[in-house]
Amino acid sequence: MDEQALIHDAQAGNLDAFNTLILHYQDSIYNTALRILGDEDHAADATQEAFISAFKSISAFRGGSFKAWLMRTVTNACYDELRRQKRRPTTPLEPDTDDGEEMDSPRWLADPNMTPDQKAEADELEHALQHCLNNLPVEFKLVVVMADIQGMDYREVAIAVRVPLGTIKSRLARARLRLRECLQSFEELLPTSFRLEEGSNA
Amino acid sequence: MNQRDLELLSSYLDGQLKPSDSARLEARLSTDPSLRAVLDDLRSARGLLRQLPLRKAPRNFTLTPKMVGKNPPLPRAYPAFRFVSALATILLFFSLGLNFLVPQMASQAPVYGMGGGGAPDVYSAQASAAATEAPAATEAPAEAPAAEMAPMPTGTLSAEDASRNAIETPVEKNGVTEEPRILSQAPAQNQPAPAEPPRPIPPTWQFVLAGVALLSALVMLWMRQASISRWRKK
Repeated sequence: MDEQALIHDAQAGNLDAFNTLILHYQDSIYNTALRILGDEDHAADATQEAFISAFKSISAFRGGSFKAWLMRTVTNACYDELRRQKRRPTTPLEPDTDDGEEMDSPRWLADPNMTPDQKAEADELEHALQHCLNNLPVEFKLVVVMADIQGMDYREVAIAVRVPLGTIKSRLARARLRLRECLQSFEELLPTSFRLEEGSNA
Repeated sequence: MNQRDLELLSSYLDGQLKPSDSARLEARLSTDPSLRAVLDDLRSARGLLRQLPLRKAPRNFTLTPKMVGKNPPLPRAYPAFRFVSALATILLFFSLGLNFLVPQMASQAPVYGMGGGGAPDVYSAQASAAATEAPAATEAPAEAPAAEMAPMPTGTLSAEDASRNAIETPVEKNGVTEEPRILSQAPAQNQPAPAEPPRPIPPTWQFVLAGVALLSALVMLWMRQASISRWRKK
């Protein structure tokens, strides 16, 4: 795939060229949105919005890492989605149980730390990681998802998130530490090589 | 663990430290177990995140022209029809407006005609009309008075224009070029002629203009619909 030629054609209005770029990057963009938003449907919506927005503003792309530029658009789309969720929460405030009775302590009003029952539900490492990611502030989440899940370098992340390099380093370090602390409660789910020795946490 | 050390360890893990900073940190790590423990924590978190399976996109997110508000490409002739339609519409309204004003102008015409100073203008203009038929007049002088009596279309030509037009162009007759004659000295010049009111634009023209505008609009509509249907089939 000649990325530069496709970008050039897309900037001239060629939608087919842009769609080729979409097919190349859609998994990365979708996964980023999924890890930031923690919901498949919202992630799909944000991904679609990001690509629409990217096509409309592709003339503003002035070279450099196209992936970082796309990540910036998906970051914006995720922020929009989070704002939308804040304005119109889709979760009912007084949910019913299967028997039609109101739940005494809805889990979305409970402490972010999972109860033993909920922990049992998160029986996969992926769920545990997503749970810990969800507990991170969004600005930390963005950095750690791009750097550690997408494998982007610091400069690319700085472009995507639009913050200085020093801020990226700081946020990444704190995000990693917070994640490690959170994952301690899922010790039994972690592969042996990732388990912490007792008292090793700083 | 202070923030500075945490950042140093995280950057060290990613190989982002300068060699000198890296060497200093390694020296500290060899003597400080708590620092090593934090480095292990960070390494563990990064390793777990890197192990997260990459989910495949649930569907293709390719865009359609409709999603990005892109219009289908129109035929090259489309702008020409747009221009014709616009021009015909403008001319139609102009002619309608003119026909509306003509009766008012006609009612004001006698006021201008009664002015004593206006008479020479009328005469000169009549001479101008005759001058346009000069070749015929030279061959058939009997027609000249009739031509000079031809009604003026507007009767508003200035005296200067009329005098200029009244100079007959040289006419070559039987190989000899005749000198232009001043027709304003024609014998009929002193006969006053009634100023004819301006004539309205014939309705035929308005029908033609309306037809052209409507036809162009219909062709444009057809072109647009055909382009959209072709666009959707892609």
